[in-house]
Amino acid sequence: MPRDDSSGAGRGPLGAGTLEMLILKSLGAASMHGYGIAQHIQRLSRDVLSVEQGSLYPALERLQAKGWLKSKWGPTPTGRQARYYTITASGRTQLGEKRAEYDRLALAVARVMRA
Amino acid sequence: MSFLDGVRYRLGVWLHPTRHARQIEREMRLHLEMDAAQREHDAPDEVTHADAWFAAKRQFGNVTYLQEEARRMTANVWLDTIERDLRFAARSMRRAPGFTIAVVVTLALGIGANAAMFSLVDRLLFRPPALLTSPNRVHHIYTAQTVRGNEAIGSYGPYARYADFAKSTTSFDLTTGVAQEDLAVGIGDASREMHIGIVSASFFKFFDAPPALGRYFGADEDTPPNGSAVAVASYARWQTEYGGSRAVLGTKVQIGSVLYTIIGVTPPDFAGIWSSQPPAYYVPITTYGAAEAAANSSPSEHWWTTYHWYWMETMARTRPGVSDARTNADLTQAFIRSIQAERGGTKEISQERPRAFVGSILSERGPNASGFAKVATWVGGVALVVLLIACANVANLLFARALRRRREIAVRLALGVSRARLLSQLLTESVLLAIFGGIVGILVAQWSSIGLRAAFLPKDAEISVWRDERTILFAGIAALVTGLLIGVAPVVQARRADLTGDLKAGAREGTHQRSRLRIGLLVMQGALSVILLVGAGLFVRSLNQVRNIRLGYDVGPVLIVHLNMRGVQLDSVYQVALRQRLLQAALTTRSVVNASFQTGIPFWSTWSVGLSVPGIGAVGRLGRFDVNAVSPGYFGTLGTRILRGRGILGTDLEHSPLVMVVSEKMGSTLWPGEDPIGKCVRLGVLDTIPCRTVVGIAEDIKSHQLSNEPDMYYYLPATQFNPNQTGLFVRVRGDAATDADAVRRSLQREMPAPSYVTTTPLSQVIGGETRSWKLGASMFSAFGLLALVLAAIGLYSVIAYNVAQRTHEIGVRVALGARAGDVLRLVILDGVRLSIVGVGAGGVIAFLAAPRLAPLLFQESARDPAVYAIVAITLVAVSVAASWLPAYRASRIEPTRALRHE
Repeated sequence: MPRDDSSGAGRGPLGAGTLEMLILKSLGAASMHGYGIAQHIQRLSRDVLSVEQGSLYPALERLQAKGWLKSKWGPTPTGRQARYYTITASGRTQLGEKRAEYDRLALAVARVMRA
Repeated sequence: MSFLDGVRYRLGVWLHPTRHARQIEREMRLHLEMDAAQREHDAPDEVTHADAWFAAKRQFGNVTYLQEEARRMTANVWLDTIERDLRFAARSMRRAPGFTIAVVVTLALGIGANAAMFSLVDRLLFRPPALLTSPNRVHHIYTAQTVRGNEAIGSYGPYARYADFAKSTTSFDLTTGVAQEDLAVGIGDASREMHIGIVSASFFKFFDAPPALGRYFGADEDTPPNGSAVAVASYARWQTEYGGSRAVLGTKVQIGSVLYTIIGVTPPDFAGIWSSQPPAYYVPITTYGAAEAAANSSPSEHWWTTYHWYWMETMARTRPGVSDARTNADLTQAFIRSIQAERGGTKEISQERPRAFVGSILSERGPNASGFAKVATWVGGVALVVLLIACANVANLLFARALRRRREIAVRLALGVSRARLLSQLLTESVLLAIFGGIVGILVAQWSSIGLRAAFLPKDAEISVWRDERTILFAGIAALVTGLLIGVAPVVQARRADLTGDLKAGAREGTHQRSRLRIGLLVMQGALSVILLVGAGLFVRSLNQVRNIRLGYDVGPVLIVHLNMRGVQLDSVYQVALRQRLLQAALTTRSVVNASFQTGIPFWSTWSVGLSVPGIGAVGRLGRFDVNAVSPGYFGTLGTRILRGRGILGTDLEHSPLVMVVSEKMGSTLWPGEDPIGKCVRLGVLDTIPCRTVVGIAEDIKSHQLSNEPDMYYYLPATQFNPNQTGLFVRVRGDAATDADAVRRSLQREMPAPSYVTTTPLSQVIGGETRSWKLGASMFSAFGLLALVLAAIGLYSVIAYNVAQRTHEIGVRVALGARAGDVLRLVILDGVRLSIVGVGAGGVIAFLAAPRLAPLLFQESARDPAVYAIVAITLVAVSVAASWLPAYRASRIEPTRALRHE
């Protein structure tokens, strides 16, 4: 199974920091429910990042406690009630910072590997 | 804001933990169902429903674990702890309701007293006016001149002076003229006196307060000679009188003698610079000035250029970066130029050392602050002392309880509760008690501030405690600090807890030990109450001295009748006739004993005229001589005695020989060693003015200040001096205040249509002079008594506790032959010894602090031995009383029972 430990910390297979960044990025365009976020990440990563979708939910709670996300219950297209998550202004700021940091790290790793 | 969003989310989770858990559970189930459905949909032939569900779950992970994990993300560890501590504290408070009530009431009295005093002192001294922009640069302008070696500082001046300051200074970016007056608003019986702000158009620019409706008046509506009759209503007035309707704009309102058109409404919190007495309306200073001038002064003078009419103050805003020293130099130059303009630039003025300077916008902080604000500040300090005593008391109670709970604490420590948790629990309990005390305290403050306002402040003054966030904040901080302060005792106790000893002690309470801390608290309480009682004694004696001063007239039965002509233009013949009719109406009113004309009211309005006396050069150098024009009933009305000669008689008419009655002091000042009767005095400086003959000598009166020195005063027949300018004094049979309205109604019938009379008890005027001593005497006494009661309760509880602890020892004493009287003495002496230490400590502190209080007292030494002696005796007596009951109980201890108890 593919593993991503680029951010080090976190008990899930996907590092906590990375997962948060992916969630924020996913919600950057539109609000989604949990399953939608999982599907989104899986689809865009071509099934590379798809393990233990459940670890998404603790991360969503943490992001709300930090004030980076807001949630609201609303109907899905099939008429069921799901919890929709929206990114807040400070969430967007965080996304920008995390992204800059990730880019720096990825570039550094790439430089070393290419050498 | 992200922080707040997060906190709000956590708080929501904390408030509804089960709902939160249900949400997570539901969300995860939905996820699994959606995933399973998707799998079935993607490969309908390969997977059964069960397979899809299983695959979804496998990819999801451990549901239960993840649910827990998700909940853990928002866990509020400290909130949960506080909640548990609060529950625990509330439980233990419920278990001992008597104790809880005693503590809460004690603290409520302490905190309430402080909140009430804070709200008063804050308004007098600390709070800049609401909505004022850059309050640090806004000042009143004061002027000072030295006359006969005394520098007189004032803030009131003529309009011309304000104009001079505005024109010839460079330090200010904004100047404005202000006055305030109680004026009748409305017409006829519906009219009511209200507080009116009289201001220049620039006044509103000092504030960041755009009008709630309409507009403020502009400079073009506020120019001499007449200004425009436009008014701005206060928000409160707009709401109550006009129902908040937009139609208020353009409405006419009669204020004083002018019919104004309302053009605007101030925003809700705006009160100008009069925060404790918000005006009902604001009117242009020039409009008001013109109206007043038309009613009072001679038409030949332009009111806006004359320098003789002192009626308004100047307020100014210093340019940014200009130092006070430079501002003051600039002002002084402008003031000197202004005086030169006033005198035509001829006379030498350097010996008057004129100077002008900026002072606080709060008049009670300026150089002419009344004693009232200083006394109020002292009383605020006293309230703090009362709170300290209350804290000491409660700490003592909590401490006693902590001693009783030693075993409980020991058990919990043995069970592994950390000391930190224990301390936080104990502190939570004391803080919770203090918060309850604070809440009840705010009620106490609200209730007592109503009393404070009624007794000491102008009638429109507003001090509401619970609509004042500064006071609420103060009460909250006071409660919190109190909670931590009283929490110290049990915490100290818990820290000392000796685990094995306390566990072994079993059900029996710890062995008897005198606690130094408790004794210390008790002595402190005694000392503090001594200090307060000494202060109370000094103020009570001051007030008594003030009350016992012979004023030279009676106050209680006398009413002042003021005629508000309100612009009714009447010729002087008609005016004289009207006043005669009013005098007759007064004399025929039931309950009126006597009545007279007057043109001067002691402490309120005094007149003086330049005099010349043959043989004396420059009479003015001998002091100020005040004049009153009166009718024959005057001396009988006021109760001023004629010492020699005669008073004013009905035969002293306009064309009969000119006469005057002088006060004893005036006679002896002008003609030392001679008989004043028959002497000649001229009203004015020209020799051509005819002589007035002194025909009588009246008792001295106080008209400027309450001191041993009487003021110089003389009386003329009203028929011979400004007969159309007089008001009335009326003497009633009983108390003037109760008859004020009856007299007003019977006089009102004689008044022409829009004019009216007001009747004011003379006691109200004199009362204003004594209010600082009254405040000191009543508040020091109230707080002193409160302190004494608290100290007595504290002493009682400690002695009672000690006796309970010493049951065994006392039993042994009795078994060995001690008699009841011996035991009684033993216990009472304990209490007395403590109180004597307290009296000693408190007495020394009071004695050292005395010089600071001295300037606020009236003819009373701050180290009056009688006061100290009485306080000391009182405190010792109270300590005997407080220890008597426990002592009596101790004396009834049966040795057999006490010893069997072992």
